[in-house]
Amino acid sequence: MMRLYDYVLSPSCYKVRLMAALAGVSLELRPVDFHPGAEHRGPELLSLNPAGSLPILVDGDLVLTESSAILVYLAGKAASQWLGRASPVDAAREQQWLSFSSRLTTSLGSARLHEMLLRPGDIGALQAAGIAALRELEAGLVEQRLQGRAFLVANAPTVADIACFPYVALAPDGGISLDPYPAIRLWSRALRALPGFIEMPGIHRLHELKPEPLLEPGVV
Amino acid sequence: MRSDTTGFWTPVALSADVLAGTVIPARVSAGIIALWRSQSGHVAASADRCPHRGMSLSHGFVRGEALSCIYHGWSYGQDGRCVRIPAHPGLTPPETIRVTTYAVRESDGIVWVAEGTPASDPPSLAGWIPLRTLTVEADREAIETAAGASASADGLLETTRADERLCLLLSPSQQVRTGMQTVTHVLVADGCLPPVRIAASRSAERLRRMAETAAEKGRLP
Repeated sequence: MMRLYDYVLSPSCYKVRLMAALAGVSLELRPVDFHPGAEHRGPELLSLNPAGSLPILVDGDLVLTESSAILVYLAGKAASQWLGRASPVDAAREQQWLSFSSRLTTSLGSARLHEMLLRPGDIGALQAAGIAALRELEAGLVEQRLQGRAFLVANAPTVADIACFPYVALAPDGGISLDPYPAIRLWSRALRALPGFIEMPGIHRLHELKPEPLLEPGVV
Repeated sequence: MRSDTTGFWTPVALSADVLAGTVIPARVSAGIIALWRSQSGHVAASADRCPHRGMSLSHGFVRGEALSCIYHGWSYGQDGRCVRIPAHPGLTPPETIRVTTYAVRESDGIVWVAEGTPASDPPSLAGWIPLRTLTVEADREAIETAAGASASADGLLETTRADERLCLLLSPSQQVRTGMQTVTHVLVADGCLPPVRIAASRSAERLRRMAETAAEKGRLP
């Protein structure tokens, strides 16, 4: 079984858990004490990944780092429909949004770390960069919808959507409102409604899709 | 839009952006409200505060014809009356438990919320269809300057660039934490094709950049 070096509050690790769940891949989770232990910067994990980042995926002799690469690997192995490879345009768009997702990490993600873990940084500049990225994503999704596509690459979700979704959904943790983005709202709902969708702390399922709690008179 | 003294309609969202069975936050002059559409398609608006524990109802969810609070599941009908308290399944909630509601109209693909008691219907948008909603971090005046045109009393601003016609439907500007903000609905000529719509979407973003740059300069000492 593939092993994921994982931190439950990391949006980048959640990308891998979510992709695996949607693709039907089982992962062995190896929890890492990211905070406060900084285990990802310790000798064991640095020997796997000198960059000192999470997630890390180990599949036999293969060691992969960088969440976008891991998403492409999981999809390629188990769910190739999640790769936008129908045309050169789709392939390029997928790469464009995978690259874009790293800008979400440095803007929205850094604002979140600043607000939640008191990491140093210029919060005003981080939030401004986050808003600029959200506007770019909103515009991209509007143009896709005008061409009959509900997701970033096609009318079905791809790894690009999974790469962008978590940091966007958690933007309010960094003090950035998602209220001004109707297209992002619809896109986020569509992703959360996918069969097999899993949660992370701060990103919940669509409540209305959960079964109505049984009414048991007399039981409080 | 404030042409009469009894009330006015505020355009809060595109109909297409409020799916059946969902709730979203929307902005009126009183602040944020919960705007929701029931499973059968009826749009309603209420104060964004559950009377039980004060939770935002726009964080809640819609099942069937009721809006439910995410906190303890208290559910409200379109008339604002509490219809269900899950912790007390046998109880018919008393009539006094209710949320403040706002009159809502849907016309020409726009959801309008009444502030006060408007004397007439929302303005007609015949010939235009809604494209998208943009939030502009600037007031109406900065948008008018960027577009080189004035908005009508109803908040409609038509602009033509090259052979492209664009109409902006401006909500009243609001003071928010970061400064003035104007929720702006972008409309295009009915029947135009996707490439024209995409160009219009980009034009609206260009106007937003111009308006925000001007507003930013205005804020500098």
